[in-house]
Amino acid sequence: MAHILLVEPDISLGKLYTSSLELSGYSVSHCRTAQDAITSADENIPDLVLLEIEIAIHNGIEFLYEFRSYPEWQDIPLLIVSHVVPSRGALNPKSWGLLKISGYHYKPITKLQDLLSSVERVLSSDGVKAL
Amino acid sequence: MVHQDEQHTIVDGRLLQAVVENMKLPLLQVARQAELARMSGSTDTNFSSIELTADTALRLLDNYLLSTRLASRRGSLEFEPVSVSAVLTDIAHQLSKLADQQQCELQVNISGRYEPVIAHRAGLEAALMSLGYVFIEARSAQPVTSGKRIIRLGAHRGRSGIVAGIFTDSDSISNDMYKRAHSLYGHTRQSLPGLVAGSGAGVFVADSLLETMSTRLRVAHHQKFSGLAATLNPSKQLSLV
Repeated sequence: MAHILLVEPDISLGKLYTSSLELSGYSVSHCRTAQDAITSADENIPDLVLLEIEIAIHNGIEFLYEFRSYPEWQDIPLLIVSHVVPSRGALNPKSWGLLKISGYHYKPITKLQDLLSSVERVLSSDGVKAL
Repeated sequence: MVHQDEQHTIVDGRLLQAVVENMKLPLLQVARQAELARMSGSTDTNFSSIELTADTALRLLDNYLLSTRLASRRGSLEFEPVSVSAVLTDIAHQLSKLADQQQCELQVNISGRYEPVIAHRAGLEAALMSLGYVFIEARSAQPVTSGKRIIRLGAHRGRSGIVAGIFTDSDSISNDMYKRAHSLYGHTRQSLPGLVAGSGAGVFVADSLLETMSTRLRVAHHQKFSGLAATLNPSKQLSLV
C-alpha cells in the first residue's frame, strides 16, 4: 500500500483529502505543520508528499528546501496542492525541476478526482501502486 | 481630502481582497465535501448540485481576485497570442455542467477562422467564464423560447478586431440598461434588474478583467443573439490564416 504524507494546515480539507485518498487505497499521514511533517517522514518514509505551501509557523517553501536537503528524501515525489497561484512568489514553475516537484494543483480549481489522478500517475511512474 | 478618499479606497480594496481570499476556504470545503459524498456512492443528487454551486461561487471569487491582481500589475502584464476559439471551447466545456443544471443549451459559434488575439490568457478565460455564469443564471430564469434556452459563446470579426462574448436568444440586454447598470453598480443590490435577480457581479468582474487588457465589455449582437462582448486585437505576429 502506498503511503502518502499530506501537509495541509486546514483540518477540514485535511480530513477530506485523507478520506478520498484512503477510499482509493492509500495510507495517509496528515500533518498540519512543517515540523510534524518532518517527524512523520522520519517515522514512516512516504512514497509521495502532498504539500500546501501556505502553512503556519514555517513557510511551505522552507519545508520543501529542508525536505529536499536530506539525501534519503531527495527522490520522493512531491505534489503541491495549494491556494497560492502557481506563477506567484518564490515557487514559480522555473524552480520545479530544482526542487523535484512532480506537479502543481491550484486548490480552487482542483477536484478530488483530479488530485487522485495525479497521485496515481506520479506513483505509477515511480513504480508504486495503491493497494 | 481627495488624497484621504483615495487612501480609504485602497484600504477598503485590500480589506475586501483579504475577506474574499478567506471566503474561498469554506467554499472549497463545501465543494470538496459534496464531491467526496458523491465519490463515496451517495445517490443524493443534492450533492452534485451543492458541489456545482460552491465551485461556481469559488471561481467567481477567484476571478475577482485575479482582476485585482492584474489591475495592480497593469503595464507589466504578460500578453500572448491567444486562440479565441480554443478559449471559448474550453469555457463551454467548463460551463457545461452549470448549463445542464440550469436547463440551458450551450453553443459555441465561431464565424470563421481567426488569427489569435493579443490577450492575457488567464484573464480572458476568467472574464468570459464570469460572464457565462451570469448569462446562464439570467437565461434560466427567463421563459423558454422555441423549446430551448440558448447561451451562445460566440466570436466574429468586427471593425476593429475580433469580437468575443456571450450571447443569448432572449432580448434581455440593451445599451441603455448596460450603461445604467454601470452607474448603479455599487449603489444598489440589483444593477442589472432586467437581466438577473442578483447583483450580476460576474459582469463587472469580467469588465474589470477586460479593462486590464485595454478593452471593455459592450452590448453586441451575434447572429440575431444579443449579449455582452469585448473587441480583442488580432495578433499580426502569428497570423496563420
